[in-house]
Amino acid sequence: MSLSTHATPAAAPTAAGVVPLAAKAVGLRKVYGRTVAVEGIDLEVPTGSVLGMLGPNGSGKTTLIRMLLGLTRPSAGTAELLGAAVPKDVASALPHVGALVEGPGFHPFLSGRENLRRVAAAEPLLTSAEIPGAVGTALERVGLTHAADRRFRGYSLGMKQRLGLAGALLVPRKLVVLDEPTNGLDPAGTRDVRRIIGELHAGGATVIVSSHLLAEVEATCTHVAVLQSGSLVAAGELGSLLDAGTGGLVVATPDVDLALTTLRDVGATAFRDAGDEPAVVVSDGPEAPEIVALLVRAGVAVHEARRRRPRLEELFAQLTEGSS
Amino acid sequence: MSTSLVERDTAQPTRTTAPLDRLLAAEVRWVLRRPRTLVMLGLFALIPVLIAIGIVVADRQAGGGLIGAVAGNGLVLPIAALTLSLTLLLPLAVAMAAADAIAGEASHGTLRGLLLAPVGRLRLVGVKAFGVLVVATLAVLVIAVVGVLAGSLIVGGSGQVVTLSGTTLGTGEALGRVALVAVWVIGQLAAVGAIALALSSLTEHPLVVLASVLGGLIVFGVLGAIPALDWLQPWLLTSGWGASADALRDPLPLGGLGESTLRALCYLAIGLGFTAVRMQRRDA
Repeated sequence: MSLSTHATPAAAPTAAGVVPLAAKAVGLRKVYGRTVAVEGIDLEVPTGSVLGMLGPNGSGKTTLIRMLLGLTRPSAGTAELLGAAVPKDVASALPHVGALVEGPGFHPFLSGRENLRRVAAAEPLLTSAEIPGAVGTALERVGLTHAADRRFRGYSLGMKQRLGLAGALLVPRKLVVLDEPTNGLDPAGTRDVRRIIGELHAGGATVIVSSHLLAEVEATCTHVAVLQSGSLVAAGELGSLLDAGTGGLVVATPDVDLALTTLRDVGATAFRDAGDEPAVVVSDGPEAPEIVALLVRAGVAVHEARRRRPRLEELFAQLTEGSS
Repeated sequence: MSTSLVERDTAQPTRTTAPLDRLLAAEVRWVLRRPRTLVMLGLFALIPVLIAIGIVVADRQAGGGLIGAVAGNGLVLPIAALTLSLTLLLPLAVAMAAADAIAGEASHGTLRGLLLAPVGRLRLVGVKAFGVLVVATLAVLVIAVVGVLAGSLIVGGSGQVVTLSGTTLGTGEALGRVALVAVWVIGQLAAVGAIALALSSLTEHPLVVLASVLGGLIVFGVLGAIPALDWLQPWLLTSGWGASADALRDPLPLGGLGESTLRALCYLAIGLGFTAVRMQRRDA
């Protein structure tokens, strides 16, 4: 897995202590009986980032999140949340943390609004006078005002998910953790989640979101962490991860044949691009500036040279399917 | 919204826990909005009424014992109804409340929300114990109050109480005896509730709690009825549950009531202690 070794240094400048961390895991490990759910994960989530947590079902995403939040005790390793040790000092961090973990948990016999008021009553940062307003605002934010006074029992899957989201947004948060927030949501709901994550990010909050919708993650996240069978196989900024992926360099030129000959002469792997425009793809070989200089010296007309980024979907498939 | 948070941050150290009175109020609100709690309280109101009607219909045929003493002696009714309910129905109601309090919340996924708010784990045990105690108190009050009313209106009597010892108590003192029994029953139920909470902290299935408490009561009853196991009596919570009849003697013997209350306090301490320890480590 050469990719993760490329990717981890890319995140290092932000992780070196220059930027404060919203969450940190050091050697986190969780064993249930004989099953290893999470195997020694080191992860740093820079403040202000939107971290997409990816991985196949059962890869340990939720267990990792639960350990970060102090809901489950790790078998080994330590975690920090907003600078507080977990679980010892987690109470000082949790008021600033909103979380939707393992689906929305509410009482069926209460209405959505009453459920939220009960959650709000336990929020340290809300004064009693602020509670009705905060509940109303949160309901509005997730588009649930029309159904607020219906019993939770009658909610659709998507409405339940929206109410869970509202619970995480009751108070302005420093960190919001969303475990599969788009589960059961219609396309409009998925867009709403994307908008909310964008708003949180713009407001300076850190967001950790686990999802199966790779396109959503690619559109909303600044950082990604990819889990596979309980281990972290890649983590870092989305951009540098994708750059480090096997995408290669695309050089647009009308002189395709001359370019291919020149490149192959220096031992580079190059082939004709399958796209509409005449171009060559260099998937292995010298650094990009060297390639361009080489081509220009050989008399090839270089119209454009750009990194070919793999889609997150390709990268994810390379990371998680290759090793299983 | 975010600016107000910043202002508050600088104005005073951030609160890390919601005010206790608000948590307790939210808990009671939740308990009382649960349909099953209300249905249960309604059914408890029927118990004294049914006993009263039964006694009036059977009239003077009733023999001795507590129920027999109710005939023509209305204010004995609440004491009889409480004693009767304590054998099974009241413990079951309390066990149900305790089952919902932790196991039920866990099964709905709401326990996670409380811990993430955060409500401290120890504090959560306190809040939950309070909620269970409220249910026990309400159930006992319903039986006592409806018992006094039904006793006066249906069974009748002079407003005085003829004790098992043959003497007569005035209305004031008779009501005092009812109150004494009510408080004593709440104490016994608190013990049952604490044990049920401990069971509740072990599981995600409320029914397991209910079945365990019911099974425990039956086992205790059987053990208490075996003469060869007499030495076990001081350890069984249920063995002192006949002491409420003492309230109808004159002068009032406090030995039985005191001893069973002491025993209940031991069960209470063990139950709550176990719950507190267990909740510290519980996954949610």
